[in-house]
Amino acid sequence: MKRNRERSLFIVSFLAPAFILFTAFVAVPCVRALLYSLEKWDGFSEPKWVGYENFVLLFNESDIFLIALRHNLILIVAGATCITALSLFFAALLHRRVHGAGLFRVTFFFPNVISSVAISLLWVLLYSTTDFGVINGFLKWLAGGASQLRLPLQWLGRGDVTVDLPYPFVDSKHLIYAVIPMMVWAATGFYLVLFLAAMENIPETFYEAAVLDGASGVAQFFYITLPLIREVLTVGLVFLLIGCLKFFDPIWIMENQFPSKDSHVLATLLYQKVFSEYNVGYGSAVAVLLFVLVFLSTLITLRLSRREALEY
Amino acid sequence: MPAFPLPNYNFLCMQLFPKCFTASLLASLLCGCEIIRPAPSAADPVKTIEVAIFEGGYGIDWHEKMARLYSEQHASDGIRIELWGDPRVVEKIKPRLLRRDPPEVVLVTGLPMWRLIADGKLYPIDSALDQPAYGDPEHRWRDLFIAGTLDTYRSGDNVYAIPSAFAAWSCWYSARLFREHGWTPPRTWSEFDALCDKIKRDGIAPLAFQGKYPFYAWYTYFSLVQRCGGLAAINRINALEPDAFSHPDAIRAATLLQDMAVHHFQRGALAMTHTESQLQFVNDQAAMIFCGIWLENEMKNTTPPDFEMRAFNVPAVEGGKGNPRLFNGQGSELFFVPAESRYPELALDFLRFLISPPYAPDIGSSIGIISPLKGAVPREALSPALQSVLDMMDVAPGIFQDRITSLLPEWLSQVLNPNLSSLMRGEISPEEFGRRLDAGVRQARHDPDLIIPPFVPFNPVEFGEPS
Repeated sequence: MKRNRERSLFIVSFLAPAFILFTAFVAVPCVRALLYSLEKWDGFSEPKWVGYENFVLLFNESDIFLIALRHNLILIVAGATCITALSLFFAALLHRRVHGAGLFRVTFFFPNVISSVAISLLWVLLYSTTDFGVINGFLKWLAGGASQLRLPLQWLGRGDVTVDLPYPFVDSKHLIYAVIPMMVWAATGFYLVLFLAAMENIPETFYEAAVLDGASGVAQFFYITLPLIREVLTVGLVFLLIGCLKFFDPIWIMENQFPSKDSHVLATLLYQKVFSEYNVGYGSAVAVLLFVLVFLSTLITLRLSRREALEY
Repeated sequence: MPAFPLPNYNFLCMQLFPKCFTASLLASLLCGCEIIRPAPSAADPVKTIEVAIFEGGYGIDWHEKMARLYSEQHASDGIRIELWGDPRVVEKIKPRLLRRDPPEVVLVTGLPMWRLIADGKLYPIDSALDQPAYGDPEHRWRDLFIAGTLDTYRSGDNVYAIPSAFAAWSCWYSARLFREHGWTPPRTWSEFDALCDKIKRDGIAPLAFQGKYPFYAWYTYFSLVQRCGGLAAINRINALEPDAFSHPDAIRAATLLQDMAVHHFQRGALAMTHTESQLQFVNDQAAMIFCGIWLENEMKNTTPPDFEMRAFNVPAVEGGKGNPRLFNGQGSELFFVPAESRYPELALDFLRFLISPPYAPDIGSSIGIISPLKGAVPREALSPALQSVLDMMDVAPGIFQDRITSLLPEWLSQVLNPNLSSLMRGEISPEEFGRRLDAGVRQARHDPDLIIPPFVPFNPVEFGEPS
């Protein structure tokens, strides 16, 4: 009896610190954020209970919340799709032992060891409209030194499109599209390694059998590789969704801490409302909705990909 | 028989864990004691005045020097200045204001000042302003300030912020480049427009612009509003009148700003940061730039030694009602004394010492600041660039400034900034710009908790304009 009590105490004593820390630094702030979202508070004076007014304001006061949400969706649709497709493609190539696979793996993974702030600054320089801007320099070279670049887009059913150079990639108006290549460059390596690790667990005999049956490389990918890495792929998609919804650093850095309506994503809107405009209630309402979105999208992704696990 | 060897529970649970837990708790409490300063007592031999300063482009070397000097002079009174600076001082001050343990003096931007004033969290500075100035006992400290520089955070009869610098908005150019090409600084907007065309023909971009911060254009727009409509137009905006931005004078100012941006900004300017665009200017890639008088100091490490930076006032607008000698200026680098400061009167005494005629020349020569005290900085203490600003000040009957952006911070970020960008890109008409700004002001005014301090209009006649 005494031994059991001691054993329970032993377990509780090891669980308690984690429980206390989680309660103090995660659970309580979450509940507080929910309460703040129902209050009008500037962070200094007494909070005033306003019920769900902040949530109504999100949709009624201006279109900034919906614009920010649309920007997050653009990141998911364009960014996450590109990252998933490219990382799967390169992982499959490396898995099939292309020449120099080790070097490619390190090269692709390299952006992951750089902080997101440094990556953003690097891309600001790449996109710069000054003489330092590598991309604009290249476009200028393509245009033969002229101040306009003519893009023949007849094949898209459009006439020639003329672009003034240097092109202001990081102008607030274009920023959300300009961060997509940066996102892809920075994140592909991580997902490549994740998917590659899953692919390397697939027994080689499956591929040998497929080759004997005359399956092409593409068929092998779709009928062997993809189904057998589905669980890891789902985890990767959940990570990507969460990452796209919580996207913050690059916009904050590229907009020099002053994102505008043209460039806001949900996380920057939240931060600006709370810490620059001292509208804690409104900012918390954004945070609550962001949490709901992350939670729902994760749930849906997991639900959609739920099938019986394949054992091999 | 357990599956794994059981540890000595008695020792772990009854002896080691409680001891570790108590030790951690004590350590946390001790850390907490270190964070919260002890309350002052009359028996304290030393009264420490804590001064927290935003560490930006001007640095804190000069302030530290002054703090040392003051501490030496008041050592016998047991007063010691403890000064520290940080670029993120605002983040450190916020929790201290909330837990009612603020420093005695703060120089900070980014706090909701009007809210703090309304909540009684700032100490009025008037008692010190009415005392004789350090080094000039004949005059009250208040009377030495350039008119208008104490108005940034004036509420009723009380002043809540003391400026340690004077800021003005002007157009900067390179005198050497102008000399080499035979260009002359314009006096009217038509001349300015013609000059820009001439500069463009000579193969140089007329104007650099800090496009990532559209707010930089606000100051130029606001100056143009004064040039077009006089101080009456400025008063309409500062009074938050319903259609102030749709008034024909404001529309004309927006039209001039848009024409300037569309025709004369350097290519790609709207995607440049302030440092990028200012670098373009000091490297002669662009001939002029609108900026505050902090420009020279901000770019001192990258400006070529032979660069001759000079300023001219925003040109007069033909047919405009405003006095073109006035300029958009205000007190800046503002010091506040929190109401819950432990020694507010001592803090004010330190400020009276810091911003005083004897030390004004030193701040000018040390960090390139024009003192907010009238004529306190001799020309020779300033660089030629700042001397050109003094030339503007010498002929100006006064300054004007906006208060709408400090009263309506959400309007500033959600309405003004994006619409300034749209206006300068040519995406919206000046009329639409005015309508959107007015609609934003009307919406902001619906907020029952909005703080609008009493409005003191500028008197046009006093500033040489028709009534």
